[in-house]
Amino acid sequence: MAKESSFKSMVITLSVICLVCSALLGVVYSVTKAPIEAAELAKINNAIKAVVPECDNNPSEEVFEVDGSVVYPAKMNGTIVGYAIKVKASGFGGPIQMMVGFNADGTIYNTSVISHSETPGLGAQISDEIPTRTQIVGKNPASSKLSVTKDGGEIDAITASTITSRAFLKGVDAAYKVFVELQKQQ
Amino acid sequence: MGKLKLISEGIIKNNPTFVLILGMCPTLGTTTSAINGMGMGLATLFVLVLSNMSISAIAKLIPEEVRIPSYIVVIAAFVTILQLLLQAFIPSLYETLGIFIPLIVVNCIVLGRAEAYANKNSVIDSAFDGLGVGLGFTIALTILGLVRELLGSGSLFGWKFIQGEGMLAFVLAPGAFIVLAYLIVLFRKVTANKA
Amino acid sequence: MARLLVSGAPHLHVKESTQSLMRDVLIALTPSLLVSIYFFGFSAIKLVLVGVISSVFVEYVIQKFILKTKVTINDYSAAVTGCLLALNLPPSSPWWLVFIGAIVAIGIVKMTFGGLGQNIFNPALVGRVFLLISFPTLMTDWSIPESWFRSGVDAFTGATPLAITKEGLSAGLTLPEIFAANEFTFKEMIFVKIGGSVGEVSALALILGFVYLLIRKVIRPHIPLVIVGTIAVMTWIFNLINPDIYTGPLFNIFTGGVLLGAIFMATDYVTSPMSVKGMVIYAFGIGVITVLIRYFGAYPEGVSFAILIMNMTVPLLNKYCKPKRYAKEVKNG
Repeated sequence: MAKESSFKSMVITLSVICLVCSALLGVVYSVTKAPIEAAELAKINNAIKAVVPECDNNPSEEVFEVDGSVVYPAKMNGTIVGYAIKVKASGFGGPIQMMVGFNADGTIYNTSVISHSETPGLGAQISDEIPTRTQIVGKNPASSKLSVTKDGGEIDAITASTITSRAFLKGVDAAYKVFVELQKQQ
Repeated sequence: MGKLKLISEGIIKNNPTFVLILGMCPTLGTTTSAINGMGMGLATLFVLVLSNMSISAIAKLIPEEVRIPSYIVVIAAFVTILQLLLQAFIPSLYETLGIFIPLIVVNCIVLGRAEAYANKNSVIDSAFDGLGVGLGFTIALTILGLVRELLGSGSLFGWKFIQGEGMLAFVLAPGAFIVLAYLIVLFRKVTANKA
Repeated sequence: MARLLVSGAPHLHVKESTQSLMRDVLIALTPSLLVSIYFFGFSAIKLVLVGVISSVFVEYVIQKFILKTKVTINDYSAAVTGCLLALNLPPSSPWWLVFIGAIVAIGIVKMTFGGLGQNIFNPALVGRVFLLISFPTLMTDWSIPESWFRSGVDAFTGATPLAITKEGLSAGLTLPEIFAANEFTFKEMIFVKIGGSVGEVSALALILGFVYLLIRKVIRPHIPLVIVGTIAVMTWIFNLINPDIYTGPLFNIFTGGVLLGAIFMATDYVTSPMSVKGMVIYAFGIGVITVLIRYFGAYPEGVSFAILIMNMTVPLLNKYCKPKRYAKEVKNG
């Protein structure tokens, strides 16, 4: 069984174990560092690609911040064709991280949800069903009121997921405010 | 003891979920679908086998008073390695399991096997013990996830065969408790007849 | 007599059996049933029939084939559960929804814990709550099916008054604005109210059932009165503080199944306390939790959850609020 314990033996054992473990972790970390970064970048890039018009630059390399929100510009032959704006909204089950894409004129190109914790099967439709059902693609927040009909807007909320629908639209609205700010600065 | 017997003990007589009722937090939290349950089970299996082996190897060198902190450091190291590997190579699983991966460190099953088995037995035996208990955990979580997915979303391993939604309560927390309770009853009934 | 919970001494002999008590509950539900049949027609009859038949069927199957014990479906308790379950659902529910609810109510909530007298929670209520979280779309669909008696009149899809106010408030409107926009009248709420579950159409019919139960001495008045009183006082105070945000007492009592819950669900023998003191604490808790859920929670209604939460305290209340005994307690006896 275990060794007789003395102060010295305890200190030495724990130090050695911690040293060996951290060395091991260091090795694994350095090996996995590149793949982890690549995986995260791929995720962001996929989200951007889904929400902006076709472009020939790499938006995640030209990222900048406006009002604390991250903005990815999409360019074609050097001229801006759209922006992907990353925003956070608070949903029914927690924060919703989403990417909202605009054309250069301010109409919504597409949206994609990066992460959420809505009720499975209900609010969870946020990633695919809500953007299509709420038909926000192609609308310009400047001319159409993007809020659910119950709040006096022109979007039909999904039955039993009003809170999620509302959060989604708030996210879009926040992104549009960033877009307006962006236009002002230029 | 035969190696096969070690494995079958972990699956049936010492099944961590249905008999020992250990590690309930990930059991209830991650089994929203069969795939998620299986992923959580396999992640725990990985940590369990490695930590059992290394603890069995170093047990004789560790002084009595610091054995729990030492085991925890070893277990935490393997969990972090697993976390980094998942993040790098299976990011989708890493995202679904989320906080439950780091929580494997405090899973009673892992420390329990280290304390109850690995520090008294050989490296090879401990590896098989970890494999058996890990498989028992994986099987239990997969079945639990399977039933919840079947009733809650009307699909099997992601393959959907009904239109629309199932009974959402089974995907949510209450369903986890209800299904687990009936599975424990069923498991006890089946194994009682055998013995 | 079937296995009712045995209270502490003294035990009084009464003529009633579980069977006759349950029959009285069914009779007390008849006025509400008739009103809902008048308003919802065939669908109300269908829901109640499916509820009763499937509850009795599930109890029979479990007792006969799984537990292999004495079949107790003749005590009508399963029939009462099925009936209450159906009365708690929206009138447009499909039949299979009631069937799933019956399986949950009888199979999971009642038989798993050992049958009548052993269950911790009110079976019909757990059935309803299970359906509410499982099928939120169906369970909040308050559209009104066509009736034989009022064919083709105002078949409209309406949310319940509580849901409408909750939605309106979260959109930033004030109560007077919401009330004006939706034309709620208290006369409508007290006599007949469309937009609600099958059994809560008419408050008057429910009160009629309450009076019958009191006359037949099936229930004691404490629980329903304290629940309604607590809700009234609490909402009155909140309403005084800010009438723009907090709905008033009349509105809260006559909406969202308060009466149905207070009269028929909270008074269930098995899942309510045995002593008067226990009953008052239990009912007070239900009232407070209901108001808190309605004002600050995510769901517009709160009665079901409040009753289920207080169900959990019943064993404790029974332990600490024992019924008074005839003789004085003997020390070191």
